[in-house]
Amino acid sequence: MTVIETESPEAATAGELSGEPYRVAMRRWLRANLPASFRSDSPAFSSPGLTQSKEWEAAMYRAGLAGITWPKAYGGHGRTLREHLIANQEIGALAMPESVNSIGKELAGPIILAVGTEEQKHRFLPAILEMRDIWCQGFSEPEAGSDLAGLRTRAARDGDIWRINGQKIWTSGAYRAQRCLVLARTGPLEDRHRGLAMFAVRLDAKGVRVRPIKSIDGRESFCEVFFDDVEVLQSDALGAPDEGWNAAIRVLEIERATNRMYRAWRFENELRHLISACKSDPALAQLVANRHYEARIGEVVVDIEVLKAHVETAVDALVNGDRIGARGSLAKLHWSEAHQRFAALTLELLAQASLPQLPAVQVARRRFEAIYLQARAETIYAGTTEIQLGIIADRILQLSKGK
Amino acid sequence: MTTLTGEGLQPSEFAVTAARAVADCAALGPREQAKHLANDGLLGVIASQDVGGLDLPLAFAVPVVAAAGSGLLGFPLMESLLLSRALQDTLPRAAEAVVSGEMLATVAWQGSVSAEREGESVVLNGWVARAACARDADCVLVRIGSGAAALVPTDSEGVVVEDAAGLDLTVPEHTVRLQGVTIPAVSVLPDSTWTLLGSDANVLRAAAILGSAETCLAMAQEHASTRRQFGRALSYNQALRHSLARQKLALEGIRHAITRSVGETAGSIERDAVFLAAAAYGCAISEGALQVHGGMGFTWDVPVHRHLRRVRALQAQGDASGSLAALGRRTIAAIAPASDVAVSG
Repeated sequence: MTVIETESPEAATAGELSGEPYRVAMRRWLRANLPASFRSDSPAFSSPGLTQSKEWEAAMYRAGLAGITWPKAYGGHGRTLREHLIANQEIGALAMPESVNSIGKELAGPIILAVGTEEQKHRFLPAILEMRDIWCQGFSEPEAGSDLAGLRTRAARDGDIWRINGQKIWTSGAYRAQRCLVLARTGPLEDRHRGLAMFAVRLDAKGVRVRPIKSIDGRESFCEVFFDDVEVLQSDALGAPDEGWNAAIRVLEIERATNRMYRAWRFENELRHLISACKSDPALAQLVANRHYEARIGEVVVDIEVLKAHVETAVDALVNGDRIGARGSLAKLHWSEAHQRFAALTLELLAQASLPQLPAVQVARRRFEAIYLQARAETIYAGTTEIQLGIIADRILQLSKGK
Repeated sequence: MTTLTGEGLQPSEFAVTAARAVADCAALGPREQAKHLANDGLLGVIASQDVGGLDLPLAFAVPVVAAAGSGLLGFPLMESLLLSRALQDTLPRAAEAVVSGEMLATVAWQGSVSAEREGESVVLNGWVARAACARDADCVLVRIGSGAAALVPTDSEGVVVEDAAGLDLTVPEHTVRLQGVTIPAVSVLPDSTWTLLGSDANVLRAAAILGSAETCLAMAQEHASTRRQFGRALSYNQALRHSLARQKLALEGIRHAITRSVGETAGSIERDAVFLAAAAYGCAISEGALQVHGGMGFTWDVPVHRHLRRVRALQAQGDASGSLAALGRRTIAAIAPASDVAVSG
């Protein structure tokens, strides 16, 4: 089934554009091509299937909206991080679904670019952008959530082959993925952060078993992944053995600082949607016009502006060649908590609708109830709030833990 | 000083000069402070070169005001900076006197007066409030109606400067009553004055709060690292580590929002948001720092409370509560009700 018909001519010319004209081209393309059924603020919304999502994201890539900063040699568009930010602002402005391959595009891709061999870059990167390979992230384990130093999944080398044994959990989207970015232990458990290696494991390899877990929103997006003597070729090992932890840290820093850079602008889209839905219901229209809710909405605007400030500062730092390091935790902590505050407000307001059967109220409730439930995970994934606070205390404030 | 306006000059370069000047002002009275700050070129940072200023963008005033907050300067520095520029076209001599430290001027941030034209004069009636250091000032800028403003000499007949309750003891805010005060019509500034002044003041208030908050967090960090309880440094305690980490998050939020608010594309939302973020986060940081200090924080000797006093005063001066509701109201007003099409358009 083809849902993505065509691309408007803008996409073909975006290659030469930069700055505002580039923004306009990206905006026009998105608005011309994003199907109404993909937009969760539209009455026509119906959650897209995997095939539809893959086609849409491949089309976005061809239009210049994925792999923006990746080198052209590996299928990327070879653009600057500032242009990446511009494109993300336009992506965020529309209520479109999250990428089904964000792990590939925002975690696996950057790490392969950082530590992969030339052969791996040519083999893996274009497949991610063209949506031939969907990736998932095999970091967490039943015995180790945020504490990656406690990983028990083992990788043992046998000539040109690694044998992987163990279990991963909270592996979002593993049931639909082709590859898993697996962090596994090559040394003794006592080594904690050392002796960890990273692998690009094919999920159709013999010995891999994926079991979906039903999650808070009723969907089966989380999975457990079991590795039973899975053979992985040395050519699928990412980076030198023992570089695994360093690679993971680098990936997580990127994840916290720049992942879904459109977040602030999507957040703004959600706020617009909330207000427009409230205004279409008589009781809610009256409610948001009182000073209490005006101030609450004002707080959301401030949260969004501060998030934009964090994002722009991170982009400036990266453009200047700085490493984000522990500072990625600041933005992560802010957006995760700010989004939860907002999500709670949406439920509180929509619960007071006088005409809950109105389509506009129904659409908003469907979207914001899902956002509320999903947002509960935002202070858990990519390092819990407590982990982020610990990172800030240890690595930014450098507070002494000793006696 | 005009040579400083060359390309490549960075706002951060003013931070060191400002910090030193603020420290030097500690033992001086307001007039000597004005002279001292003027000699270091700090009062005319954003004023035009015609009135003796440096003609730099607002971003350059940020580190200056932050240093004043950090050092708890007892001088209406933000007001002087903004006035030197606000007066430069209409009342260039007054602007020049502010820049050179000859004249001590302030702004009454709250309230407005009525103005009646009488020939070449204007008669003002009403009361205004939150005028920092008005007791020592030669002139006070008062708001007329909703947008215009007038510069009023404090020794004019009919001007009564009154003490008002206020938390900030080093920069006392006064109420000023005007009863039939006659000033020359040329002392009235154009209608757009107040909006611009208020918008820039929001950025500089955030800068002042940044300076105070930075100092509070540094003190809390120092205290947590050196104070020992139960045989360990306080910083061993995870609850305190996390509290300090939250304060750091808040501090960087203020800092980044200030950078954003003086950027090329910044408008009124960024300007309002930076003040509101600084007011909320600044209070949390200074109150948090007080908590980390335990009972010691409540002694007069530990200056965290003085920063808390100042941050709370700035929060009230900028009418954070009213601004927050107004920001929400504007946001709500700008969005149409949902229809059959997607909202994001």
